Amino acid sequence: MKLYGNKKTALLFIAPALLFVLLFIYYPIVQNFFMSLYRWKAFGEDRIWVGLQYYRRIAQDPVFYTALTNNFLYALISIVFQVGFGLVIAAILEETFFRRFQGFFRTVFFMPSVISITVVGLLFQLIYHPSIGLLNNFLKAIGLENLTRAWLGESGSAMYAIIASSQWQYIGYIMLLFLVAIQKIPKELYESAEMDGAGAFQRFIHITVPQVKETIIMNSIITVIGGFKVFDEVYVMTAGGPGRSTEVLATFLYRSGFRNDEMGMASAIASIIFVITFVLTLVQLYINRKIAEE
Amino acid sequence: MSKARRWNLSRALVMLALIIYAILIIYPLLWMLLSGFKDNQGLFLDTWALPKTWIWQNYVDAWNQGIGRYFVNSVIVTVSSVILTLIVSSCAAFALARFEFRGQNILLILIIGGLMLSPQVSLVSLFKFLQKLGIYNTYLALIIPYVAYRIPFTTFLIRSYMLSLPREVEDSAYIDGCTSLQVFAKIIMPMSKPILATGALLAAMSCWNEFMFALVFIESDKYKTIPVGLMNLRGSLSTDWTILMAGLTLSVLPMIIIFLVFQKQLVRGITSGGVKG
Amino acid sequence: MRRKIALLLCLVMLTGLFAGCTGTDTKTQGSSDDITIKFLHKWPNQKDNDYFVSAIAKFEEANPGVKVSMDSAGDEAMKDKIRVVMGTTEQPDVFFSWSGEFAKNFIREGNVLDLTPYLEADPEWRDSIMMAGLEPFMEDGKYYGIPYRINGKFFVYNKKIFEENNLSEPKTWSEFLSVLETIKGTGVAPIGLGNIYPWAACHYITGLNQKCVPEDVRHDDYIRETGEYTDPGYIKALEHFKELNDKGYFQEGVNSTEHNMALEMFYGEKVAMVYVELEEFGDFDEKFEGEWGFFPMPAIEDGAGNQNFLTGAPDGFMVSSRSANPDEAVAFLKFLTTLENSSEMVQTLGWPSPVEGAVNSENSPASLVAGLEAVSKAEGMALWLDTDIDIRISDVYLPALQELLNNDKTPEQIMKEVQEISERIKAE
Repeated sequence: MKLYGNKKTALLFIAPALLFVLLFIYYPIVQNFFMSLYRWKAFGEDRIWVGLQYYRRIAQDPVFYTALTNNFLYALISIVFQVGFGLVIAAILEETFFRRFQGFFRTVFFMPSVISITVVGLLFQLIYHPSIGLLNNFLKAIGLENLTRAWLGESGSAMYAIIASSQWQYIGYIMLLFLVAIQKIPKELYESAEMDGAGAFQRFIHITVPQVKETIIMNSIITVIGGFKVFDEVYVMTAGGPGRSTEVLATFLYRSGFRNDEMGMASAIASIIFVITFVLTLVQLYINRKIAEE
Repeated sequence: MSKARRWNLSRALVMLALIIYAILIIYPLLWMLLSGFKDNQGLFLDTWALPKTWIWQNYVDAWNQGIGRYFVNSVIVTVSSVILTLIVSSCAAFALARFEFRGQNILLILIIGGLMLSPQVSLVSLFKFLQKLGIYNTYLALIIPYVAYRIPFTTFLIRSYMLSLPREVEDSAYIDGCTSLQVFAKIIMPMSKPILATGALLAAMSCWNEFMFALVFIESDKYKTIPVGLMNLRGSLSTDWTILMAGLTLSVLPMIIIFLVFQKQLVRGITSGGVKG
Repeated sequence: MRRKIALLLCLVMLTGLFAGCTGTDTKTQGSSDDITIKFLHKWPNQKDNDYFVSAIAKFEEANPGVKVSMDSAGDEAMKDKIRVVMGTTEQPDVFFSWSGEFAKNFIREGNVLDLTPYLEADPEWRDSIMMAGLEPFMEDGKYYGIPYRINGKFFVYNKKIFEENNLSEPKTWSEFLSVLETIKGTGVAPIGLGNIYPWAACHYITGLNQKCVPEDVRHDDYIRETGEYTDPGYIKALEHFKELNDKGYFQEGVNSTEHNMALEMFYGEKVAMVYVELEEFGDFDEKFEGEWGFFPMPAIEDGAGNQNFLTGAPDGFMVSSRSANPDEAVAFLKFLTTLENSSEMVQTLGWPSPVEGAVNSENSPASLVAGLEAVSKAEGMALWLDTDIDIRISDVYLPALQELLNNDKTPEQIMKEVQEISERIKAE
């Protein structure tokens, strides 16, 4: 077919996209690695070669491990709630009985994920406020006064409080992905199971879960990668505090670079984030391919 | 059949749980909306009550004290980014979906591979790069990175759609003497409208809500977009919280409206992507 | 589908229309030979910004051929990022700076114009500005900045609560503690503290360090090259602060409360005192008129520092050493700080001006006049700790204060961390 035979035309069509991606995605990432080997400031032209010094310093910095732990915690809890609850809710909404209410619940549950994280962060900051916040007022109203606390102000609870707000925002998102997957399951499977007298719970365990196994794995990986990219909610709600207890890798990066003006250090942290997220993505692609082969 | 639709105890309990969860989602948003009408005393001391008097002025104040300016900036940045993303991505998608040439796969992987890289990693070097280009602290400092990071997904989305389009029309157009550019502009693009809408919606949402680049690449207040502007508005000294609440409400309204109107298109885009955020 | 797209288009166009209306901002358009001065300040909110817009209009009228293009960044953004602008071609001619180390960092890098010749050429201008305001912008006997505001930190208290319990303004730390104990007994939280951003606690430590550590030792420690932080006074300062917390003198949840929420609690009489800056006095007059009084941080009886210092600092403007039009930039600064314009600034914004006579009983409430008098009477200022020491040290010091309040770290642990980071920076 001659219409699409001209390679030059094709390249012309691709060139702008390629240029954008090469210049503003790939180049900065390569550049970032070199920048992590120098000591340099945001202003001022001189830079001093320090080699791997920043990586060594990061390896000895307790804040780095706090951040890493928090990212893990974030990923882990998100899997339980977003993937776990997301799946259960999707399965419920696809039940014959509940399907007629699906439109309403789907809209409501998904709504938070279209809101900017800044807004959610500022909103939850108020919800968690010890004396005027909704949460403590609610606990007092139902007689659980001893459970009230300064949610974002104590190192013990601050990280969990942030993670919780993120669950509030994203369970509906993952639920939606599951809804689509469940809709693809052949109806006959459910019908024959029902004939055999399987209850709703059994159908969930024996049909739904195995049938959407791939989606479960994919969603888990998406969630884990998301857990290592967290920045907005932490920056908005606690800025890493109290102390350094809610620091995550991205806020650690921001603080090193744009507050302490140690840009080389920030680049080094960025390289570490790159390695972690890149490896996770490769796992995602590998599983993707495996699934496709099956 | 009737059995499947009848209420029983366990169904009622599940329904109750769903309703409670729905309230957990709706109530905070409603609280934000209503608090925007209170005064500070009302917000702090009568958390649960409806506003005693409805202070519409808060919304006016929020708009005038910055939200208006940030809103306009967000519109400028979002609209330009979305338009540019769509043009660039659909061109690339067209070439990758229709043309056949050597090296095609490598280009495809290069462009879509951008999906694997997270923006955090390039924050520092991009910051320096934008400075060198002399566009740091301008609208372009946001538009260009936004477009770059939206291209991989949007190209992927549009390409898979174009692959599913029938080729008969194009073939006959070719016989009538159309060039590939004409085919692209007159046949492919009009046929791809639904997926372009989806791509536009997703891109708009991510640009409207983006925070980190907006925080780092913009310095002065007059170019700030809504997410960072809200942080500014909160300030570190005497802020009027209810005005902030009004501002929060104003800044989420466009997205909520778009979501409610275009739900179907959005859902299709999200479920075909496998990417979050 | 088509209707939805049409709807979307309409929405976009509608907002575009908005953009057309509000988008016309302060961009100055003049003939091409006009000199343009870039001016960066840190008060983006409407009221403050408007004042500068009108001041600039007057300046441009008086100086044909000179245009000022103004820009603003918020408080936190300024701390994070003003350093960043300095590296770009966008570097402003006149820019905001805190005094102390924050300013000295720019001075050391050679980014700031030496203003001494201008001040010496116009002694009247120099003498019109309080020395307490000029001095913190000095390095090696040269002037690098012109103060625009001078701030002091005071405890503001609820008069009614004090009267009901027969309390008077405490002069010493032990009197202070007994006042707090009495108030606590009445069921009201004595002090409201909003420490979600730890600068709030840092302002306490600013004063306590100054009062507990000998002046010369502290001076050397705050300089990057000579910092040691080994004086036992630093630990004492933290212990005094910790005592306030341990005895329950702050309200609940200090680390998740914002400063302005603490103020709201004060207005709502849920707390009896707040620790605030002079520039905030105007708000108290507006919302709590006649029912409040203030006193400085009480003296610490066995403290090794000068007990007659006040916590506070001037902040103001500096001129870029790369400015193409330094004379015009300085002229603009001079214009902002004339007695007439300063008085107007005080009247409009209620900020304490370091220009002699700018704050007076005609244009200001008595509280501001009295507060500024206390500032000018003080034997010296303890500059804000977070802008007076190297940013990397304050980055360790400040978050640790939150942990101190949560009992996650002891004063000894904190000072050990501060010593370590200070050693590392010295080694660089």
